[in-house]
Amino acid sequence: MFENKLGVLMAGAAGLFLLGTLATVVLPFTDTSMTTPTASAELRDYKPDSAEARGRDVYIANGCNTCHTQYVRPVKADANLGPVSQPGDYYFDTPHLLGSNRMGPDLMWIGQRQPSEDWHRRHLHNPRDTSPGSIMPAYDYLSDQETNDLIAYLLSLKPAAPGAKSEAEKKLEAQKGASE
Amino acid sequence: MYSTADRAARGFLFSGILWLVLFMSMGLIIAVKQLNPDFFAHMPWLTYGRVRMVHVNGVLFGWLSMGLIGSMFYIIPRLCRTQLFSSKLATFTLVCTNILIVSMAVTLLAGLTTGIEYGEMIWPLDILVAVIAVTTLYNCVMTVAKRKENQLYVSIWYFIGSLIWLPLVYIIGNIPSEWIGGIQQANMNWFYGHNVIGLWFTTVGIGTIYYLLPILTKAPLYSHRMSMIGFWTIATFYVWNGPHHLVNGPIPLWLMKAGIVPSLLLIIPVWTVVANVFGTLKGHWHQVRANNSLKFLVTGTIFYLITCIQGPFQALMGPSSVLKFTEWVPGHAHMPLFGAFSSVVFAMIYYMLEKQHGKIHSRGMQEVHFYFSVVGYLFFGFSMWIAGVIQGFSWIDGEPFMASINAIKSLNMVRGIGGGFMLLGQIFFAINVWKTVKQQRISAQDLESDASVRV
Repeated sequence: MFENKLGVLMAGAAGLFLLGTLATVVLPFTDTSMTTPTASAELRDYKPDSAEARGRDVYIANGCNTCHTQYVRPVKADANLGPVSQPGDYYFDTPHLLGSNRMGPDLMWIGQRQPSEDWHRRHLHNPRDTSPGSIMPAYDYLSDQETNDLIAYLLSLKPAAPGAKSEAEKKLEAQKGASE
Repeated sequence: MYSTADRAARGFLFSGILWLVLFMSMGLIIAVKQLNPDFFAHMPWLTYGRVRMVHVNGVLFGWLSMGLIGSMFYIIPRLCRTQLFSSKLATFTLVCTNILIVSMAVTLLAGLTTGIEYGEMIWPLDILVAVIAVTTLYNCVMTVAKRKENQLYVSIWYFIGSLIWLPLVYIIGNIPSEWIGGIQQANMNWFYGHNVIGLWFTTVGIGTIYYLLPILTKAPLYSHRMSMIGFWTIATFYVWNGPHHLVNGPIPLWLMKAGIVPSLLLIIPVWTVVANVFGTLKGHWHQVRANNSLKFLVTGTIFYLITCIQGPFQALMGPSSVLKFTEWVPGHAHMPLFGAFSSVVFAMIYYMLEKQHGKIHSRGMQEVHFYFSVVGYLFFGFSMWIAGVIQGFSWIDGEPFMASINAIKSLNMVRGIGGGFMLLGQIFFAINVWKTVKQQRISAQDLESDASVRV
């Protein structure tokens, strides 16, 4: 019987795996909504070694993304968080920082919701100072440089003006227009 | 008596217990930090974000993966009526794995991380993971290829399948950000995050259940055919599940649907396992009372069933819009990993020790381990599920964010207490195992074939 054949087992297991991978991992690369940067994405295309890029590294190294998401969904719970995130908003995010848990609020557009540099400084130094009852740890151990970089990064998390189009989006629309 | 070939298996299982206690303590630190953010604060090494990463990676790779590899190294040679292909290679894998776990803890606490959930380890450690996965696969496949028993018992199907899937899943989830970032990376992150549970922890765990169940009950497996259907359906449907983690999120609708529909179909493989376990137990339930390994095994199966009813439910767009990002999710995630498959590995360890050392040092401590784990987890799970529902509706009502945190503070306390009992149970477990091994009782039947497994 085939069920005692090691080869059948190994080939079948690998084959079924590749089928699902093709559908859910490879196919998305053909979807232009996922492969075209938006105008908001362009705002996050930081130059290497800019304050924002270094601040992003501070964010990652301290695991900020374990408690803060960076995505706004078209659901009632996210109604007060700003524009709904689009797949292309993340085009320049390496690594992505979508997160999966909100022990703290979403930070997708925090630069717009909380634009005060002073507020961020006080909040990072002692979260209870600006937000009584907060359970965020104090980031008073960061150096001045690290704190400044992190704040620069947080303030940069803003949406583009409504209706703004990225270069890639304009190109895509022109192509569509030409083919019609 | 245990053969030299079993040394690696025992090494994996015992190292796992050490990591279990250590990294569950880190979980408790996180729980306390959520109650008092100034606990172990003001220093980078023990900041919440880093401790959480170490807790997650530690219990996933240090405890559960090592426990499952140890189980496979113990079970596969017996089902094949042969020795492990290379016990030297297995020892090499063991050393690599322990080096990996130590380096993982040190690098993550130092802030060296990729930032990818479940894939936080930096690339040099990824290479070490690849070495571990490939040497384990090679060792197990060669053992099966050189087997003296013609029949491939269903456990081997699950083991070999898992060992093929693990490296593939790991590679897709850990491709460097410099190559693929953005939303594609997020999608691949959840492909990995979900499948490492479904095609590694779950499937090796099920293989272990199928090995232990007939032996512990001394009854033949209820249906061999059904276990085959279970294997092929899990292989078909599970791999599609990743996108359901991004439901309502920034991915196209077709991709969400491609993730949600197979989640619902998963009830088929789950039901084959549960029906098989309950079918085999028919007329043997009285043994569950007397046999602590069986008690853990049955408990694990029941938690597996509940996990797989809860999971597809929260993957639907409606429930997800309330529950996603809340404490419900970690409450759910602990169920397959702790409630279900850790229980299976506990059963495996107790069974092996009983065979190799005659008897377990203390039955009482075993009972304490069982009840502290199960009752502790029930407090942990229920407090987090309730907290999640409260948080979700607080956000929907448009309350200020702090309201959702203040509302669940008492539930976080219950979670901490439940988690404390879970950890305390493991300390009893570790001491009991230590004392049992120190007894040095020798049982000669150990290497006898496990004839009762045959169908």
